[in-house]
Order: sequence, then C-alpha cells, then structure tokens
Amino acid sequence: SSREHKLNFKKSKEVCLSYIQDAMLQKQWKRAAEFLTFYVESLEKDYSREYMGPSEIIWRIGTEILCHHSQSSMKEFNSFMEQMKTLGVKRYLKVCLEHTFRLLCNGLIDEAYQNLSLAESWRYGEQTAIQDKEMKLIQAYRGLLDYYSWSKQKNILLENSQDGFEDLSVEQEMHSCFRKAAVNLKEIIKIPGVWDQFVKCYVDLLEFYGDHNEARQVLNEYAYNSKFPANPNAHVYLYQFLKRHGESKKSLISALKILHDIAPSHELMIDFNTMLQKSKKRKKRRLGLEVIFAALDYAGWKENVKAWSCLARQVKQIVISEKHLDWIKVEWNSRKDWWPAFHFSRYLAKRNWQENESLSYEKALVAGILLGK
Amino acid sequence: MEFPAALFPSYFSTGPPREEGGPAPASGWGELGQVLEAGLGRRQAETFVPRRGGTGESWEPADAAAVPFLPPNAGSWIPSLLPQDILCRGIAHWKSRAGKSEAALDFSRQLGHFFVDHPEDAFGSLGQLLHKNFYLGNSKLRRPARESTIRMTALMEDIDRLEARRGCPRQRLVYRLRWFSHLCRDWLFEVPLGLLADCVHEELLLQWTSLLFDDIPTGGALAWLPPEDTGARMGRLVYPRGQAMNHLCILPSEVSWGGKGSRVALPLTGTPDFQDVVVEELPHARGSPAQFELNGRIRQVAAARVDGEDFVGVRSDYHCGVWKVPARMGAAPIPLQVIRTSVPASCLTVSPHLPGELSVCTQSGAVYLWSVETGLQRLRHDTQTMFFRDHSAWRWSDFTAHPRVLSCADRTGLQCLDSRAPERCHFDLFKVGEEGGCQQGERVVLPMYLGRAHPSQHLITTQFSVYVMDERLPLVPMLKWAHMMKAPPIFAHLTPGGPGRSHKVLLGTSRTQEMLLLQYRGEKQGGSQSACQLAGPPQKLHSITSCLQHLPTQLPHRHRLLQQRLSVPAAGLAAALQEDGPQESLLVFQLSEAGDVFCQRLTHRAAQAPAPTLGDEPCCPALPSPATALRYRRWLKALSKHWRPPTQQAWPPTLSQNRLFTRKELETPVSPSALHQQARQRLRQAMREGGRIQHWDTPAPQPLALPQPLEPVGRLDPLSARLTAAWSGDWGQWWEERTSFSVAQKQRALRERRRRQKRARGPRSLSASFTSSLTYQSELSELSDTAPVPCSPGCPTAVLPREGSPVGSSPPASPAPEEPLLSSQSLLCRGIPKERQKTLRDYLAVEEEDPPEPPEPPGSQLSQLCIPSSQSQLSSASQPRRKRPRMGF
Repeated sequence: SSREHKLNFKKSKEVCLSYIQDAMLQKQWKRAAEFLTFYVESLEKDYSREYMGPSEIIWRIGTEILCHHSQSSMKEFNSFMEQMKTLGVKRYLKVCLEHTFRLLCNGLIDEAYQNLSLAESWRYGEQTAIQDKEMKLIQAYRGLLDYYSWSKQKNILLENSQDGFEDLSVEQEMHSCFRKAAVNLKEIIKIPGVWDQFVKCYVDLLEFYGDHNEARQVLNEYAYNSKFPANPNAHVYLYQFLKRHGESKKSLISALKILHDIAPSHELMIDFNTMLQKSKKRKKRRLGLEVIFAALDYAGWKENVKAWSCLARQVKQIVISEKHLDWIKVEWNSRKDWWPAFHFSRYLAKRNWQENESLSYEKALVAGILLGK
Repeated sequence: MEFPAALFPSYFSTGPPREEGGPAPASGWGELGQVLEAGLGRRQAETFVPRRGGTGESWEPADAAAVPFLPPNAGSWIPSLLPQDILCRGIAHWKSRAGKSEAALDFSRQLGHFFVDHPEDAFGSLGQLLHKNFYLGNSKLRRPARESTIRMTALMEDIDRLEARRGCPRQRLVYRLRWFSHLCRDWLFEVPLGLLADCVHEELLLQWTSLLFDDIPTGGALAWLPPEDTGARMGRLVYPRGQAMNHLCILPSEVSWGGKGSRVALPLTGTPDFQDVVVEELPHARGSPAQFELNGRIRQVAAARVDGEDFVGVRSDYHCGVWKVPARMGAAPIPLQVIRTSVPASCLTVSPHLPGELSVCTQSGAVYLWSVETGLQRLRHDTQTMFFRDHSAWRWSDFTAHPRVLSCADRTGLQCLDSRAPERCHFDLFKVGEEGGCQQGERVVLPMYLGRAHPSQHLITTQFSVYVMDERLPLVPMLKWAHMMKAPPIFAHLTPGGPGRSHKVLLGTSRTQEMLLLQYRGEKQGGSQSACQLAGPPQKLHSITSCLQHLPTQLPHRHRLLQQRLSVPAAGLAAALQEDGPQESLLVFQLSEAGDVFCQRLTHRAAQAPAPTLGDEPCCPALPSPATALRYRRWLKALSKHWRPPTQQAWPPTLSQNRLFTRKELETPVSPSALHQQARQRLRQAMREGGRIQHWDTPAPQPLALPQPLEPVGRLDPLSARLTAAWSGDWGQWWEERTSFSVAQKQRALRERRRRQKRARGPRSLSASFTSSLTYQSELSELSDTAPVPCSPGCPTAVLPREGSPVGSSPPASPAPEEPLLSSQSLLCRGIPKERQKTLRDYLAVEEEDPPEPPEPPGSQLSQLCIPSSQSQLSSASQPRRKRPRMGF
C-alpha cells in the first residue's frame, strides 16, 4: 500500500500542479498562491527523480506569483528567495543569479551587489559545467556593478577636479573598483558568447586608463574569433572604437566591409556607402554601389529616404559622368525581375507620394534611370 | 532597420544539445533570464530591464467561453481515431525511456480485423479452392468426406479459448493451432503473410505517430484578411467548410450567419510532367464567388498582403492553389493558379514582399519558389534532414527580410537560401543544438516569419520552447521561452503592435486545443533599437471545449455527442485587431477539424485606466451574456438539425429467427436417421421420467459382442422377469428388450386406434381392411423372431428409469407421430406371433384409455437444426413431408 500511497500522492500532486498552472495562465495569482500552499506539501515526500523536482517547481512558480501578486512586497520576495536557496544545492547559483536580476530590475543595486558577493564565495563540492557557467556569470555581473560604481566615482572625481580639489580616497576607491571590474569582465569575455554590455564596459575602462592596445585586442577578439557568434555589434563596437581613435579610412572600410558581409542590412551601411562614394578608387566606389543596392534589397529599408537618396545620388553621378554605366547594369540585371514589383509598383508610388514626398522624389529618380534603360 | 545597441548576455557553444530533460511542467515561470542595462551609455541611470518577465499589456477576455462564430459545419462528422482503437487491450502502456514513449500496438487484432473484413483479399483464391475441404459443423464427418475434409470447429474453439485467456500468465500453447499455422502459413494467404504483416504494422505505426503528433495541419487552415484601413470594422475570414472540409470560404466578417455565394468548381486536368510539381491554369470564376469547391481536404490556408491586395494560398495534400482577394470589400476573390504535386505538400507560405509569390515544400524534401507569373523554381531537393538525421519528412519554408531569400526548415533547424543561387548562398539560421540552448529530443515544429513586427525576425516553435531569431545574428536566439503547452504548437499568429506597443503572438496546438497569448517587445527606446524582451506573463485563451459547460443542458447521449464534437482537434487559428475609438479588442478565431469556427474577444485595458475594484486580477465573466447564450442556443439548434433524425432508431430492436437461420436450416430433414430417432426417443423418455441419460455416445461394443441365446420368455410378470434378468446379470438386455418391445406395442396400438377411427368415419372397402389386418399380423410375427428391435449401431445400452417407477405403466417414449409412418409402414409387413397376441390385446386395451399422443416437444426441432445439410441429403428425401409448425424461440 505504500506503493499505492506513493501513486496517489503523485497523482494528487500532479492535479494540484495543473490547477496552479491553470490559474497562473489566467492571471489569477491569488488562486494560484492558495494552491501553491497545498503544493508545498509535496516537498515533504519528494520521491521523484524527475528532470524537474518539486523544489524547483516551487521556486519557479513562487517567484512568478510573488512578482504579480498584488499584496507581495520585496521583503517577502527576499525571504522567499533565501528559503529557496537552501532547498537545492544544485540550483543555488541559479537562484542567486535570478534573485540578483530581480533586485537589479527593481533598482536595488547595493542589495544585488551583496547578493552576488555572497554567491561568489559559495563553495560546494565539485562544480558542474552549468554551475561553472553560472559562477562566471555571477562574477561578470559583479564586475558590471563594479564598473558602475567605478563610473560613479569617476564622475565625482571629474566634477571635483573641475571644482579644483582632489579627493584621494575617492580616487583610490575608483581604482579598486576598476581592478575588481576589470578582472571579472576580462574573464567572461574570453568565453564564446554574446557579451555586448560586458565588452563595452571593459573597453570603456581600458580606454580611460589609456590601454588602447588591450582594448583593440579585446574588440578584435570579440569580432573576429570564429568561436564567437557572428554578432554585428562586435563589428560595430570595433568600428566605433577605430573611429574614436581616428584610424585610417582603410581600416574603417575594412571593418565595415566585414559588417556588410555578415549583415548587409545593417544601418551602418549608409555610412559605409557615403565613405565609399567619397573614395577616389573606382573599386571602392563600385563597392559603395553594391552596398547600397544590397541594403535596399531588404524589406526594412523600403522606405528609408537616406538610402534612396544615397542610391539616387550615386546613380545620377554615374549617369551624368557616363562612366561605369555597366556597374548599374550588373546590379540591375540581378534585380530587374523583382525590384519593379518590390519597389516601383503603382500602389507604392501612390502611397509613398501620400506619405513621404521626398522619398517619392528619390525613388522616382532611381526608377526613371533604372527602368528607363 | 537598426540593430539593438546591446544584446542580452548569453553563452554560445556549438554541438549537439547536452541538456537532458523533457517537457517540464513549470519551466517557463520565474526566470528573468538575463538583464541588460536599459539606458546603456547614459550616465547615472542604472536601470535594468529583464529579458523575460517585463510588464506587458493587459488583455482581458470579454466572455466566459468561446462563442460560435459560424453555424455548425454541415455533414456527418466522422469521429477520429482514438488511442484505444489501436492499442493493446485498449490501454496505453507507456514505457517512458529517455523521454520516448512507446505503446503496445495491438498488431494481431488489426491483422485479424483485416482477415475478417476483407476475406476475399486475404484468402480469395485458396479459399475458393479449399472451401469444400474445410468443414465448420459440429457433427462428425462421415467416412468418404473425412478423407478430404478437415473439421475446423475444434480449431475455432481453440482460437476462442486463446482469445478468452489473453493476457493470462498461465496461458499454454495450443499445439493444434501451432501445427495448423505452421502447416499453412506459407500457402494459405493471398498476400504473403510476412509482407501483409509488414504493411499492417507499418500502417499501425503511421497511425500511431499521427495520433501522437499530426503535422499535416501545420500552419492552420484559418486566415484573417484585415481591412485596408485599420479603423474599419470589415475584414475577411478564410476558412474551409463542408463535409470533407474542401470548400474554401472567404467571408466578409460583418456577415456572421449564413450568406453563401455560388460554388465554382476548379477542374484540374493533366498529369504532371514536371519532376514534382506542375503548374496548371485555372478557369476564371464567374460571378462573385465566396465559396470554392476544391477536390481535396484543405490542410492549410496562408495569406499575406502585398500592395494592398491579399494573396491567399491554400494547401491540400496534392494540390496547392492561390487566390487574389482585392482590397475593395465585396470584390470577388480571383483564383490565380493551382499546382499539383506528386508527393503531399507539407507547407505553403505566401510572400509578403512580392505579389503572387509563394513557397511550397513537399514531403519528398523539395522546396520551391512558386511565382504565378514565372512558375516554379526548385531551390532544394534533399531527402535528408539538414543538421542531423531525423526520420520526419516534414519540410517548411518561409520568406525572409530579403525577397529573394527563403528560409527552409526541417525538424532539425532552419537554413536561409538565396533563390538566385540556392546551391552557393545559404546560411544557418537555427539549429537544434547547443547554439540555441536546446534540449535533447527537441525538434522544430513551426517556423514563422515575423516580418510585420520586425523585418528580420523569425519565430520558431518546438515542442518545448518558442524562439525569436534575428537573421542578422543567426543561431543565437534573441528570445527563448519554455511555453509549457501540452502538445506542440503548430499554429501561430502574429498581431504586430505599433510604436511603444508589444507584439502579440498567439500559439495554438491541435490535439489539445490550447491557445496561448504571448507578448514581446523590440521597440525603439531612446533612439536605438532595444533587444527583444518577453513582456508580461503568458495568457491562456478559451478553447472550443470550454463552451460546453455554458451550452444548454442536453440529454446524456446528446451531451456525449456534443462533447465529442467540441473536443475535436483544432485545425487553425486567426486573430483580428479591432480599434473602436480608444477601445481596442482582439478577436481570436479558432477552427476545429469538424469545421466549426469559434471566436472570443479580448479587450485591452490601457495602463492609465483605473483598475477594477476587485484588485488587479482580471476577472473573466463567469457566465455568458444573454446575447451569447442566445448564440449558443441557436448554434446548438442548428447542430441538432444536422444530427440524423432519431426516428430511424426509435423502434425497439426486434430479432427474427429468419435472420438467424436460413430457411434450409430450419427445415426438418425428410427422414431423420435412425440415430436421430433413437436420440429423440431417449431424450423424451428421460424427460418424462425425470431420469438421466448416462451414456450418450456409442456403447462399448462388449455387451453386444456376445449375444446370448434367447430363453423362451414365459408369462412372467414384469417384476419377476426383471428380477430374473438382474439375477442372471443381463438386466440391461432385459430392459432393452422390454423397451423395444413396448415401442413396437405402442406403435401397433397407435395404428390400431387409427384404424378404428377410420372405420368410425365411414364405410371402408373390405380389401383395405383386409390388407391392413394382414400386415398387422405379419408385423407381429416378425417381432417375435428377433426379440429386440435392431436399432442403429448407436443404440443406448442402459436407460435407467427412476427407481421405483412402475415400468409397465410408464409408456415408453414414442416416436413423433408423423415420423413413424415410415417405419410403421415397414413394420406393417411384419407378422405378429400368436403367443404375443394376448399381450398385444392387453396392451391395446390400456392404450385405448391413454390420452392422445402429445404434440412433439419443441426440443426435437432444435435437434434437427443441428443436422448439417450434408446429412439430410444422405437420408432419402423422396418422401413427401408435411410442414411443421414453427415454434417460437
């Protein structure tokens, strides 16, 4: 009968869970909370070896309910989280991380920082791969918060120096924040992933202390390491860095060329096109035409006046100079079967004219040249 | 379009998924995922936004349940296959092993059904050849027949017994069955048994997998064509209708009841000479058709608006068609083109960029770009899946931000192909693997291009999660959320939100009718695009079944029918956003496989609006409004009209014996065999005496083997004669003699009585009386020669009368009044010995006082029923017979 008891218990547990789930999906948080108090009983007799045990279910559901329940407070939430942390060793870091996120979203930066420090010092046996990742994230977020306090100190210092007096303690604190932030941020961005905000902060730190080489290396690594995903932002950050430091046109163009290859519809393509148009080299000007044509292939650019004026300008130039008409021909050949319907339909002409006259002008010019041929 | 200035942090690794697991009940709750600083770059404001769990808009259901939108679909709807139909003992045996479920399919029952339902296909020729050699009767086979005939009855009984003991642990093998099956397994079946079994098994597996997950309706067969001007209240709903769901209906939404257009049949001629698909021109529809009859069940309806005109693609198994619906309300839809495929199509999507462009996938692994103007272009043909091997033949394709680039999906992931150079230019958009943080066993269920919300975003659903992908950063999900739905979401619908608003995504499942409303945000904040966030908790919408409790109470069987009707799997969903001044509402339509369309309204509660007094929780009305209740009643009334009138089943069931037995079987044989007579006689006697029959079978030959010399029987009284016989040990024989004697006596008495009756009726010819008396004499004389009447070999040896019953007074069992005519006539030619004449006279005197012969007991008829026709043929049928009255059962 103990088997039967277990079966019955399991069944009623499942039913209870489905009631909770149902209430939550209908946003009846109070009802869900009532059911959850019954479900907590399942912790006492946890026979399951399932993928997701009741303690995790309680953590997840409890968190969600506390976030939406009209009578919950941050204090209650914190004490619930502390209880949840003790429930499962395997999940400790994850719960800590989620708790931190919650605190951060509520603007409780200091509490979040404390929470992270506490979690960082936690040790329990050998860490699994997932725990290792979570620990790295905890450190990275602590680094991020360190960066924010660094940047706060920096602002104070800058204001003070404008006023004419120096504060050594602030400066010292700022440097210690820098060290703590730099160590942790440096760690995470070595691992393949999307670390936009960490990279930005780390580069900012390095730039402030004048370590441009390191910064460039970090950005290059982030953009060009093949183990990392092809993140357009990595190339954007590198381009912006190069631009900030007055790098040569050539290196700027090569950075944008790669961005063009991975994301031809990126908004920087207009900058790229203008840069290329200004170039003396024929090859670059040709690339510019390719870039703007490619950008206008995308649905998101259909009504982009800037892009159309770029194209109109360049096409006009080519036609007036009567040189390199073949460039247009080559580009047009691969598009002539669908651009008219895509860009130059009667319906669009009418609508563009009603909504945006300047767009109409630019498009009309391009259409006249392209369709006229 | 701008790319978000910073994305949420995430790890990126490659390879097969490492995370084990399965559908976890609460996996979608409680996590924020990651946080990102909202105003990155701005100075002091350190506010963070979560990836999940942000605030969303509040949409509240306006009604207690889904409301019928159209009258019920006509036609008798056939209930679909249930797991009980194909599983062993009707119970699902789930062996959960590593997340895989296995069921015990009842293979032998299905094979048995096939043999019973299609005997001609199963045993046609050999059955005809051999049917004379198989005998299914109960009686023994006679000599000449036995040479070439097998009696199957015992075998059948064995099979029945086997069936009855099914699942019994102590079940033993029946050797006779084994022997028979070994003997004829190779030649008895029309189709070789192994081959047939393979086919049945394959079909069973197919049915089972489609029962577990049916991917044919992926995409859904319901579409909403919004009005051109968002403020207008008119739109069109495209849905399938009819008994076979083969009528495409395009209904202006303000028409809610009735309103049918003329039907236009689309004839399809010619055979494909194209490898897979062929283009055929369509005749123009005349008039203003709102309904088109197609020659196939509509599986999917896809729609997209290009340049103010809606293009509607319709997929059935072997045909895909495209219609153009002009923006002007009331304008007739124009059928444009139909293609026929040789392999079932699995996907049809309409380009949102170019008019008259669609993409088609077939189950053979081919992906086509279909342009109404230029025809079909095959982009890919690969029977293998893309990233790892998966058995599913399902393929999907959709459009992307670039009109010439198509996404191509199978269960393992998504690739984007450039249609201008499909071989060379492609990139992977989504992979089931570590890249997306997938679980083991996770598979792509439905990809959808979210172009109307953001030109480069795609939605991908799996059985566990939903993903939002961005073409510009392939392989890395912008958003991932575990949806916790009970079945894989194969329907999805996007309602894009304007600036500052969230995009609404509806997910729908088929079998469980679930619908979930998700909101996500990817809006511009402070000049730069912010990363994708899930906004607000997901919300469950009413399913069609939910209205059952609000429908008027029904009789139990009606209720059951209604329940069946309402809980059929969903076949599609659509949504329409209506703006009525400041009030916004979302109309959600759900289509069932029975063809019913239900809808529900969600009203938007703006953030500024004062919260209702009952706290912040949205309260769904508990009861339907009067108008809704009226709608329910009308719908139910219309549905009950479709149900077959009950008059056909109203009479109580009657059973006629005509149906149970053929006329031939009911006929009594002309002349029953001696064995029959004997048996009947004994039965009757045993009944009369309340005795019992001990040995029914043929007696052991021993008592008959040594005929004892007949002693002259003196004038012993019956008791002493009996005692004497008992003393000498052959009491049985004495009894034999006695009974047969009395039988003969009784027969004679009967005859005598008849003679007397005849005489009484009128003057008779002398010769006749003379003859009869003569025969009478001869009969008696013959009887005296051989003491016991030599009966058939199966003559009973001992029929024991009840103890103490007077033997003489109990008249022995008499043969049936009609039957003895034959035997008595033969007896007439026998003489009666002189010494027995007194006994006869005595007996006759007794007989005269006897009541007339009782009518034949009904049991005799039963016994005759069991006589197979072959036996009745054996007995001479030349004698004319009187028809017997039929006794009621």
